[in-house]
Amino acid sequence: MLSFVARRIAAAFGTLLLSSVLVFLAVQALPGDVATQVLGKDATPDAVAALRTQLGLDQPAWERYFDWVRGALHGDFGTSLVSGKAVGGEVSLYLGNSALIALITVLFAVTGSIVLGIVAGLYRDRWPDHLISTVSLVGMSVPEFVVATVLVLCFSVALPWFPAVVLYGPEASVGQLLPAVWLPALALAIVMAAYIVRMTRTSVIDVMAGEYVTTARLKGLSTWRVVTRHALPSALLPTLHVIALNVAWLAGGVAVVENVFNYPGIGKLMLSSVQNRDLPVIQAIALVSAVVYVCCNLAADLAAMALNPKLRTRGRTR
Amino acid sequence: MSDIHHPARRSVLAAGVASAASLGASWLLTGCTGAASAPVLPAAAQEGTPDRGGTLRIARPPASDAETLDPASALSAYEYLGALYNRLVRVAADGTLAPDLAESWEPDAKASTWTFRLRKGVAFHDGRAFTSADAAYTLRHILDKATASPQAAVLAPLVDPAALRTPDEHTLVVPLKTPNAEFPSLLTHYNCYVVPDGSARSIGRTGIGTGPFKLESFAPAGPGRVTAYTDHWAGRPVLDAIAFYSVADMSARSNALLAGQVDLLSQTNLDFATARVVAASDRATVARVKNAQWYVLPMLTTEKPFTDVRVRQAMKLAYDPEHVVKVALQGAGAAGWDNPVPPSDPNHLSAHPAHDPEKARYLLKQAGQEGLAVDLYTSSYDPIFTPMALAYQDSAKRAGIRIRVKTAAADSYYTQIWMKKPLMATYWFTGRPVDQLFTQIFRSGSSYNETAWSDKAFDAVLDRARRETDDTKRRELYGEAQTLVIEKGGAMTPMFADRLVGISRKVRGYDEHGFEFDYRGIGLKGGA
Repeated sequence: MLSFVARRIAAAFGTLLLSSVLVFLAVQALPGDVATQVLGKDATPDAVAALRTQLGLDQPAWERYFDWVRGALHGDFGTSLVSGKAVGGEVSLYLGNSALIALITVLFAVTGSIVLGIVAGLYRDRWPDHLISTVSLVGMSVPEFVVATVLVLCFSVALPWFPAVVLYGPEASVGQLLPAVWLPALALAIVMAAYIVRMTRTSVIDVMAGEYVTTARLKGLSTWRVVTRHALPSALLPTLHVIALNVAWLAGGVAVVENVFNYPGIGKLMLSSVQNRDLPVIQAIALVSAVVYVCCNLAADLAAMALNPKLRTRGRTR
Repeated sequence: MSDIHHPARRSVLAAGVASAASLGASWLLTGCTGAASAPVLPAAAQEGTPDRGGTLRIARPPASDAETLDPASALSAYEYLGALYNRLVRVAADGTLAPDLAESWEPDAKASTWTFRLRKGVAFHDGRAFTSADAAYTLRHILDKATASPQAAVLAPLVDPAALRTPDEHTLVVPLKTPNAEFPSLLTHYNCYVVPDGSARSIGRTGIGTGPFKLESFAPAGPGRVTAYTDHWAGRPVLDAIAFYSVADMSARSNALLAGQVDLLSQTNLDFATARVVAASDRATVARVKNAQWYVLPMLTTEKPFTDVRVRQAMKLAYDPEHVVKVALQGAGAAGWDNPVPPSDPNHLSAHPAHDPEKARYLLKQAGQEGLAVDLYTSSYDPIFTPMALAYQDSAKRAGIRIRVKTAAADSYYTQIWMKKPLMATYWFTGRPVDQLFTQIFRSGSSYNETAWSDKAFDAVLDRARRETDDTKRRELYGEAQTLVIEKGGAMTPMFADRLVGISRKVRGYDEHGFEFDYRGIGLKGGA
């Protein structure tokens, strides 16, 4: 058990390092650098050369990469090449705002889709199943920015219930952001719900056909009790990884949705830093996304272990 | 505005996503309201006088995360400038110069020294009186290398900061290094707003000027607010306050307008589909800024085949600008006939060679370029680029010219394509005085010379025009310069396009042209 966790954590660090190298190389491969992007049409050769020297862009790429790694290991992610602010503070400010959306999305999407998946599984091939499966499939097939735009048209333009965009900057308080959180969260939830619904449905059907469920039923337990006490824990097991992957997907999925809503979150920061080739910020965001991915998967593995006795004891018997 | 040419660098973030989303929005809305059957867009803003008071909410694309209120900076937050500051001289609606903080100005006999008589009884927002020291300081601040002002490139060859004189509190004397009869027009640029003496370090945050509004709050690439300056020298503005919001994504900006969260979209040229949706909505409509931008297909005169002037002439004669206006702008603009001086400018020359595909064919034959085939680069940076390129391609076919339209990435378009590929699509904002336009974009070796055109005769005409103090004669010389640009230059200028501005139906007194915005007169109906 312990060695398993240790191996997983070591692998996680390897993943983080690899992703930072890949992101660094990818940004190097983009045409133009921060000097030409920020100056735009004002990028005369003199101005570009001056800005490059000022920002240290005249150093070789690998040297800049190792400087960055050295700083990051000491908790210093450098300063933004555009705004001149410390990257750590900047990223955590935007990350906090995104966390608000992510939290609400996860709560909605996970609980909602598990319930829907169970209903679909229990009413297999009857009308509730058809309805839930079809609607969730449609939600999954439509890209998130279309879902977001449709939601804006329905609930901001036609019915003025929610704001269409966020007019505040990244320093906005939770109270200011809260009214604007629901539509983006709903858009993301609709897109990610389908996977979880399908997975839950399949495993509920599998489990309900199992012998121990039949036994429980024969003992005279109510359906409610059979589902909650016996079927659900086993049915949730394969769903956990799907949930984890979906939560990790949120780290990237918010990028597009946040821009539609002008929401001051990590996705919006990422898009503008890629646009500006603001390498320190991009690196930090990539690292954060990688951490989210790794943590979600690790958590799913550990939870699976906790729910599955076979996995839990394997380390001991060997 | 991060620079003087394109309105919103940031609006192209995720251009693909944005346009897809706004298309989605327009399609859905037109589907709902049936507006597709009524393609006519309103020609003017709402008429009538505004009520006093109220807060106008403006959505704007941020220039950069490092935005500043320093007017001289390349990263100035453009919308705030006109509200917070005044210039010495501004441009009137008819294109002539009008007094702002300078009441009058006159040159000496050779136009080598200019004297500005400044307005009396003007106070900055912090209560200090405006004097000639502030005006002189503003010029020195623009010319200071540390400011890195884009307008320094225009003024530095003319003005020696050490030579400025202030004989009394209300007179500024500017001796020029070389005579220039158009010098005051160069001070109408939006980098030239007047700031208080010695404010270089603080002006980017304080925004203290003499304008009709004073700063309440400002966050770079974030929200901000200005309130009426009741002691403004021309009388208090109609509004009580203006709230500025930064919205980088263009479709998010239109959604905010449609949802009634904002009243005006600044620096936003709505695409036609979105414009129809906005015009059909109950809350918002579309206003126009006439000839707000001019579109260019620059041919690099240093690259084959455009090194040959006959090929350039053939490329121009080959296409019909009226066709391009009809197809690419759906009629919302005016044909340019390869003359970059806007029709609204008093110096505009209306004469031009007629569309003549046969002559184009003949010239190409002469140049040994019969059946010429060239790549024309475009991108989703601006919604008009590709329609314009396709309309040109279609029109030039009649002269036997084969154009291959190629699409390049939007976010590096101005670093990788512009001034690098022999033929591409681009645009500029109008509002530049004619002398600055020619000096910055057409003169040999100038920094924005996007065709790399170098013509000694043209440079000489420009020099003569600058020295000419007689207005009529000077106008003739600028006319000559336009003829040279049309006949020999590398820039094809198919059209001037109106900007389609999304605006709330409550807004009254909206008046914008070139880089001028009437913040004092704009207001709301029933807004207070």
